[in-house]
Amino acid sequence: MEIEVTGTDEYGNEAYKTLFDTIMNDVGKALIIDKVKLVLRPDIPMFIFSVRLINEPGVKTIADAADLRPEGSELHMSISEERYAPAILSQLWKKYGRDNIDQQTRFDLIVHGGDEKTVSEMVIDSGDESKKEVIGALWRVLPEGIKARHNISERNIITILATEEIVKPEMKEEAQRVHDSMKGVA
Amino acid sequence: MFEVMMYDGGVYRSAELYEMIEDVGGVVLQSTRSSQMLTVTMSIPGEDKPAMEKLCRSIGGDIRGVPLAGTEIAVVGCTLGRHHMPHPICDIAEQLRQYGSISVVMGLARGRGKATAQISKSERDIIDEYDAAILMLGNFKQCIEAKRDLFKDIDVPVILVTGPMPEGLNDDCEAIVPGVGRKAERMRTAEERKKLEEIADKVDEVLRDKRKVLEEDPLFVHPAELKKLLEEYEPINMSLRPAPIVLHLDGLRVKIPLSENIDYFSNLEIYGRKLVDIARITESKINDGSTLIRIKTLSEVEDMDCRNGKK
Repeated sequence: MEIEVTGTDEYGNEAYKTLFDTIMNDVGKALIIDKVKLVLRPDIPMFIFSVRLINEPGVKTIADAADLRPEGSELHMSISEERYAPAILSQLWKKYGRDNIDQQTRFDLIVHGGDEKTVSEMVIDSGDESKKEVIGALWRVLPEGIKARHNISERNIITILATEEIVKPEMKEEAQRVHDSMKGVA
Repeated sequence: MFEVMMYDGGVYRSAELYEMIEDVGGVVLQSTRSSQMLTVTMSIPGEDKPAMEKLCRSIGGDIRGVPLAGTEIAVVGCTLGRHHMPHPICDIAEQLRQYGSISVVMGLARGRGKATAQISKSERDIIDEYDAAILMLGNFKQCIEAKRDLFKDIDVPVILVTGPMPEGLNDDCEAIVPGVGRKAERMRTAEERKKLEEIADKVDEVLRDKRKVLEEDPLFVHPAELKKLLEEYEPINMSLRPAPIVLHLDGLRVKIPLSENIDYFSNLEIYGRKLVDIARITESKINDGSTLIRIKTLSEVEDMDCRNGKK
């Protein structure tokens, strides 16, 4: 994760670089972030945080996180990506009911009456959710009192502008410039 | 010369410790038991220190000097939000406990932001109940300087702990310790531990000055003496709250409601005088479960006597 900080307060620049790194590692988002630009202007106050994710968060289905094997009226499932196990279980319980899901081990399940095509297409993680988590993490890094916020989200780039009172047009323009620079346009 | 020491160890053979404190003419200032662990803050004559150290070692405990014993200090954050808590506020509070103080952590309701940060009168009144307050501010110099209103009207000594060194705030606080700022993890490196010690030493320095002022016009009775008397009162003796009596430099916090015990406080006598005559007794601003006793100074009591025509 490459972090670039520009701002008017030398101490704050260094401190926020460390804070960003620590918090993103804490919430487990550091590995999916490629580049970060932080613009810190406590004198206005105005803060722009822009992150470029390594990949655009896409929709994940059960087929992406588990292996399926139909046997008669039953569908045997082996979860290959542990982090999606709770989401898979919850989706299956919702559709088939708890009685029809037989969890033999932590990763091995039998879905009674499960259809391979229907189960494999069930969504367990939408890209939006992943983006929301990144935005939540960015809010956690931003100073608490700077509550007036404006988000720009496009493919794998997310930019947040935050100020204390009114979000002015020139602030939005500045945020857009930072956002574009992450694409390599500006 | 009495010295304040803290025993930190197990409850095993603690009766011997209490017995020795009594034998040497010392006083237990605070005793906190948590499961099988025991912390005893005591005031003992300096010449008995080696004997006390020997006993503590023989019963498997540790003893050390605690410069902040007998004080209650508030560590105040801008809010209770995760941006400001638990680090570094709780790290500072813990360091103060290591120095013998009773420390509490508090967050303001609207202390965040630059232009919007504010403190209410009730928050100020609560902070003024303590012996000193440490105010934890953030990483931007301009934001720290803009938050002067948060602490300029607080009467007790305020120690600011900040990231960068602010300018122009020296007249509104007693001391400033820069180099901490907002943190998202525990202060555990050697450098950070040193910084925590620096903060506690600064608090000690500030309170030493406050003690000197008190010595010029001493209190009518020392809070520790009053504590000994209050401990015999059953509601306090039987109280399950941790540290039911907390010593302050100029009085005590007693964790029983004033409204339910007004008769006891009104009739309590010390050195031939009613407690209500030699102290200001008020309900704590935090809640009605605690009572605050501020002991008057000798000159205040004499002045009161003159006004009442006593000799």
